Amino acid sequence: MESQNIRDKKEKVVEEKVHLIVFKLGSEEYGVRIDQVKEVTITPEITRMPKTPSFIKGVSNIRGDIIAIMNLEERFKIERPSGPSSPHTYTLVMEAKDYTMGFIVYEVPQSLTLPVSSIDKAPAFIQDININENFIEGIGKYDDRLIIVLDIFKILTSDEVLQLKS
Amino acid sequence: MKSRDQEYKEIFIAEALEYYDALNRHISDLEKTPEDEQVLAEVFRLLHNLKANAKAIGYETIADVSHKLETAFGMIRSKELNFSDEVVTVLFDGIDMLGEMITGIDGTKEVEPSQALLRNLDIVINSQAENSTELSKVQKHYTSKNLSLSDLIYIQIKKLDHLLNLVGELIIDRDRIFSISKELDNDDLKNVSAHLYRITEDLQYSVMDARLVNVGSLFNKFPRIVRDIAVAEKKEINLEISGSDIQIDRNILQIITDSLLHLMRNAISHGIEKADVRKKAKKTPNGNVMLSAQNDRDTVILKLTDDGKGIDQEEVRRAIVQRGFLSADAAGDLRDTEVLSYLFEPGFSLAKEVTEVSGRGVGLDVVKNAIDSIGGRIRVDSKKGEGTTFTLFLPTSIAVKGALLCQVEENFYAIPLMHTDSVVALPTEELHEVGELLVADINGETITIVSMRELFNNDLSQYAVKKSDLQGEAQNIIIVTYNNRKLGLIVDKLLRQQDIVIKALSKPVNTIEIYAGVTLLGSGKVCLVLDVAAITRYFIARR
Repeated sequence: MESQNIRDKKEKVVEEKVHLIVFKLGSEEYGVRIDQVKEVTITPEITRMPKTPSFIKGVSNIRGDIIAIMNLEERFKIERPSGPSSPHTYTLVMEAKDYTMGFIVYEVPQSLTLPVSSIDKAPAFIQDININENFIEGIGKYDDRLIIVLDIFKILTSDEVLQLKS
Repeated sequence: MKSRDQEYKEIFIAEALEYYDALNRHISDLEKTPEDEQVLAEVFRLLHNLKANAKAIGYETIADVSHKLETAFGMIRSKELNFSDEVVTVLFDGIDMLGEMITGIDGTKEVEPSQALLRNLDIVINSQAENSTELSKVQKHYTSKNLSLSDLIYIQIKKLDHLLNLVGELIIDRDRIFSISKELDNDDLKNVSAHLYRITEDLQYSVMDARLVNVGSLFNKFPRIVRDIAVAEKKEINLEISGSDIQIDRNILQIITDSLLHLMRNAISHGIEKADVRKKAKKTPNGNVMLSAQNDRDTVILKLTDDGKGIDQEEVRRAIVQRGFLSADAAGDLRDTEVLSYLFEPGFSLAKEVTEVSGRGVGLDVVKNAIDSIGGRIRVDSKKGEGTTFTLFLPTSIAVKGALLCQVEENFYAIPLMHTDSVVALPTEELHEVGELLVADINGETITIVSMRELFNNDLSQYAVKKSDLQGEAQNIIIVTYNNRKLGLIVDKLLRQQDIVIKALSKPVNTIEIYAGVTLLGSGKVCLVLDVAAITRYFIARR
C-alpha cells in the first residue's frame, strides 16, 4: 500500500475536513460521509421479503417509514469474521435523492473527522476486489488505521439495486 | 343534510363571487390600460362563464345582465365601442350590480336589476351612431358594498392528500396504542385510548368525506362528449345518465376519467351499429347508451351499457388462438366469462380480427391497469346482437381498504378483499397434480392452486409443486379472483379480516411485482400486501 502515498496536490492548501461515520464490514473499516447518513439505530425488526436477492434482508418500520434493509457484507461478498457476534446489530439509515435505505453493520459505528488530504483516490487495482471501484470514493488514513470511504449514493443508484427483480 | 340544490346554489354563489372579484380587478386594470387585449379577453371569458353558470342554475336576471356586459366587452374587443369615460361608468355600474345580485341570492329578497342601468347598457351596446348624452343617471344605492368572504373555500387536492396520509399514519399509531393499552391493562390508559380511537375514526371519515365529489361532476361532461362522438360517427345516440349524486373520492374519479371516456368512445363508434343495420335487427334507429352509478357498501359501481352489436365470443376465441395466448383446444374449453377477460390482455388489442369485427379491445389493457391501480375491478358482459356492459367496481375511498390477513412462514401478508372470493380448508387429498401445478375442484370449478411457500422460496420459472411438498392433512386456501379468473393460494394460517392503510413500497424494492405495497399492523409489525393481479397474471401466462 506504500505506493499510494502520493497525494493529490490541490487539496493541500486549506485543511479541509471531512466528517465520516466509520463502521466495520468483515475485518476492515469503512466510512461514509456523515451528510449521507440520516440516522444510526439499533436494527429494528426486519420483515423478510421473499423474491428479493439475499442481500436485501427485508423491510423495516423506522419511524413510520418502511425502508428496505441491505446487508453490505453479503452485497460485496465480504466474509464475516468468526468469533462471538454482538447481541444486536445496527442500521445506518442512508438517504439517496428520492429514497432511503438501511444498511446493517455489526458494531457500533463511530464518528471520525479527518482532513480531506488524507483521503487518497482509490487505486485502480482495487477493481480486483469485490467492491466495485465505483463505489469507493477513496482510501482514508487516520493514525495507523485505513478507512475505505464508500460513495453510498452510487451504491444506492447502482443498476443492480435499482433493478431488483425476482 | 343539505339538499343537493342548496349545495349547488352555494357552489354557484362562491364561484360567481370569485368571478365578480376578478372582474373588478380586471376592469380597474383596464381603466389604466384600455388597450390590453389579454385583460379584455379575460373579462370577456369571466362574463361568459358567469352567464352560462347563472343560466344553468336558473338565475335569469344575472344571466341577462352578464349577457349585456359580455356583449359590450365583445364590442370593445372588436373596436366597435370606445372605452370612453361614459362607457366605463356604465360598465362599472353593471359589474357592481352583478355583485349585488349575486350576494342577494342568499338574502330574503331577490335583487332586481335597476331599470335605468339596463337601459344604459342597451344604449351603450347600440350606441355606435347615437349620442351618449342619453345615458341616464343611475341611482347608486348598491355601491355601498359591505365586504364579505365566501363560505366555501377552494383547496388543492394535494393538501387533502397530505392530510389523508397523516390520518393514515395516525390510525396505525392509534391501533398500536390500543393494543398496548390492552396488554398493560390500565383503566385510565384504556379509557384514553378508547377515546382516541373514536376521535381518529371520526377524523378519518371527515377527511375522506371532504374528498368526496359527486360522480355527476364527471358524468355531466358526457352529454357533450357523446354528442361530439355521435356526430363524428354519423350516429344518433340517446344517452341516459343515472346515479349522478353517488359520491366517490375525487382522485379515484380522476384516475378513471380517461378509462370511462375510452369505453364510451368504443361503445359509440364500435358498439352501436349504423341506423340501417339497427333497423334490420329490429332495434330503434337511435343507439342507446346508459351510464349509471350505484353504491354497494364501500364500493361504487359504474356501469356503461350499450345496445349495440355486442361482442362475438367465437371471434374472441379465434383471436385468442391467433394471438398465441392459448391453443385452440384450450380456447375452446374456456368459459364465456373467461373468454371476454382476454379483451383486457395487453397486446390483445392489436388483434386485427377483433378490432375490425367487433371493434373492442383497443387499449382495454390500459383501462384495466388504471382500475387495478386503485384497487378496483372491471367486468365485461356481452351478448352478440344485444349489446355490451362494462361494469367498474371502484373503492369509494383510496385510503382504507378491507383486507384478509394470512401468515406464510414467519411473515404476515394482506390480500385486499376486493380480490378475494372465498376461503376454504381443503383436505390435501382433494388436490390433484397436473404437470407442475396443483388444481382442485371447488364448487364445481377447476381452480389452479398455488402454494405460497413454494412461490416465495423458489424462482418463479422453477415453480413446481407436488402434493408431497405440502404439510398437514388440510390446506388453508384463499380463492382470489382477478379479471374473471380464479386462483387458490395455499397459506399457512388464516388470521383475520382488517382495514388496512396501504403504503407504497419505496425504492428499490418497489419493483418486485408480487407486492402491491405494505401496511403496518397494530402491533407495529410490517405486513406486505400481495398484488393479486401480478400473481394471477403469472400463473395464467404459465397455463
